[in-house]
Amino acid sequence: MMLTWEFPPRIIGGISPHVFHLSRNLAKNGVKVYVVTCDFPGAPEREIVDGVEVFRVDSYKNPSPDFATWVYLMNINLQKEAAAIVNSLGGEVDIFHAHDWLVATAGIGLKHVFRKPLLATMHSTEIGRRNGLHFDYERMIHETEAWLTYEAWRAICCSHYMVSHVRWAFGLPEDKLVMIPNGVKAEDYMEGPNEGLSEFREKFARAEEKIVLFVGRLVYEKGIQVLVEAIPKVLEKVNAKFIVVGSGYMKDPLMNLARSRGLAHKLLFTGFVDDKTLRNLQRVADVSVVPSLFEPFGIVALEAMAAGSPVVVSDTGGLAEIVEHDVTGVKAYPDNPNSLAWGITRVLLEDKYADWLRGNALRKVQEVYNWEKISRQTKHVYEAVLNDYAKSFWA
Amino acid sequence: MQVIILSWEFPPRMVGQLADYVMRLAHQLVKNDVETHVVTYHDYLTGQHKESEGVNTTRVSNPVRTHIGVLTWVLTLNQEVVRAASNIYHESNKMVDLIDVHDWHFLQSAVTLKKAFDIPFVFSVESLEEHRSHGANFPFNMAIKSLEWLGLYEAKRAIVKSEWMRDEVVRLYRVPVEKIVVIKPRSKTWIPEVLEAYRNVVGGSSSK
Repeated sequence: MMLTWEFPPRIIGGISPHVFHLSRNLAKNGVKVYVVTCDFPGAPEREIVDGVEVFRVDSYKNPSPDFATWVYLMNINLQKEAAAIVNSLGGEVDIFHAHDWLVATAGIGLKHVFRKPLLATMHSTEIGRRNGLHFDYERMIHETEAWLTYEAWRAICCSHYMVSHVRWAFGLPEDKLVMIPNGVKAEDYMEGPNEGLSEFREKFARAEEKIVLFVGRLVYEKGIQVLVEAIPKVLEKVNAKFIVVGSGYMKDPLMNLARSRGLAHKLLFTGFVDDKTLRNLQRVADVSVVPSLFEPFGIVALEAMAAGSPVVVSDTGGLAEIVEHDVTGVKAYPDNPNSLAWGITRVLLEDKYADWLRGNALRKVQEVYNWEKISRQTKHVYEAVLNDYAKSFWA
Repeated sequence: MQVIILSWEFPPRMVGQLADYVMRLAHQLVKNDVETHVVTYHDYLTGQHKESEGVNTTRVSNPVRTHIGVLTWVLTLNQEVVRAASNIYHESNKMVDLIDVHDWHFLQSAVTLKKAFDIPFVFSVESLEEHRSHGANFPFNMAIKSLEWLGLYEAKRAIVKSEWMRDEVVRLYRVPVEKIVVIKPRSKTWIPEVLEAYRNVVGGSSSK
């Protein structure tokens, strides 16, 4: 039984698509999956999606003092409904799988109530998001994460970087941690006709301009400011249009910066766009840039690779593992506009090099980051945990 | 009969009158052949203990040490309460008949245990948030009131200590008056009345 605070159509961050793809592929691999998640306007309370039984639970809707308190209150409902569901199934749930601290308290309680193993996927950490713990609020979340990883029989992380980060942050033994990468459904990015793409492209850039694409929240840790600093350095060598998809608190300062440097005509902020537009942008982009300063995984790089766009990423976190320099993409020094501009320019000026990166990247996405394979790895962890469980006094 | 009492205060931890009340209740239950477990909070006297009067106590502490207020502290502590109560349930071959939860703090644990194991619970009301906070209705108070509402909704019976409190429960939470039992702690028939209320709940539960 998976616990998650978001599941389509409720999409807030990366956990929702992750659980969506993981659960349906596990179901294909013969695992009976129940998902218990927060409700969403218009979505049914109970439905079966591709063999996955989804239960949507009333999330706490009164005004809350703050986000963390809401999370704990919402977990009360999640836990009581999950308990009722397991009871109605005659206790036939073998494993509880919690995604992030957002469902920690519900998961921990259920483990002990039904005496079944708990698994946790740590998608991120408070200490990483905030670059340290500065307030009691952050410390409280950090300690809740620590408690979740303590109670979990295994903690799953999506990159080697996150494994060592989580191990360090919570002082966990090495054999408790498992690395299973995040995935991308490559077919979604290759589908669709190629005709019409050139007209689509014309809406965003002139024919003589190369397209440099950034997709992500416009926040400090995503490094968008580094890209803006790199723009003039790229323009010295090659004519290009920089397209920025996403929103965030840095949008206005960045627009002002671009205007003051006389770059406004070269930089386009689209805000949020729908899935189809995003995929088409990724398909027409001559290069996709992921200049993050902190990145647990870096799914946006994978998506670009699946769409056939060469990538330039900063050499940090999960990105450093996804991209092999000069093979599946280009790595630049993090927080270094000169290095980033060098990488972008190289891809834009050398077509053969760009095609070589494209081909290798697509192959890697299909081989390593496909959900079918990821769900098999996850099933393997389930089996290992159940094997341990069979020897415990709870069995 | 086997009963688990959930209370956030129990000697030696005394916050208000509740600790003393719950202790007297537990002692009297044991004297009347009720197998009695108390799950409560203490920061360091943790673990299971058989008290001299025959009451089984389990004290838990909160693994999350840093908090922004009493609310987050309670909401997380409940998982340790659930864990302790579940251990009692599993180790007694699932022979728990009833949970008696005192005030709002551990109501969520009682609700989860009810949903999971079909164990009915009674909600013993010592005080209500409306009176404690003098009618304040900040999100903080609202959260506690929503827990009290949940408890009154899910409980088989509410036990209150005066007619005034019965009327307040009805007024504030629209609880059907038949669901509320008034038992005065200073009455001579206090324990017989509690036992009768317990028996009514256990007898009327579908699972037992």
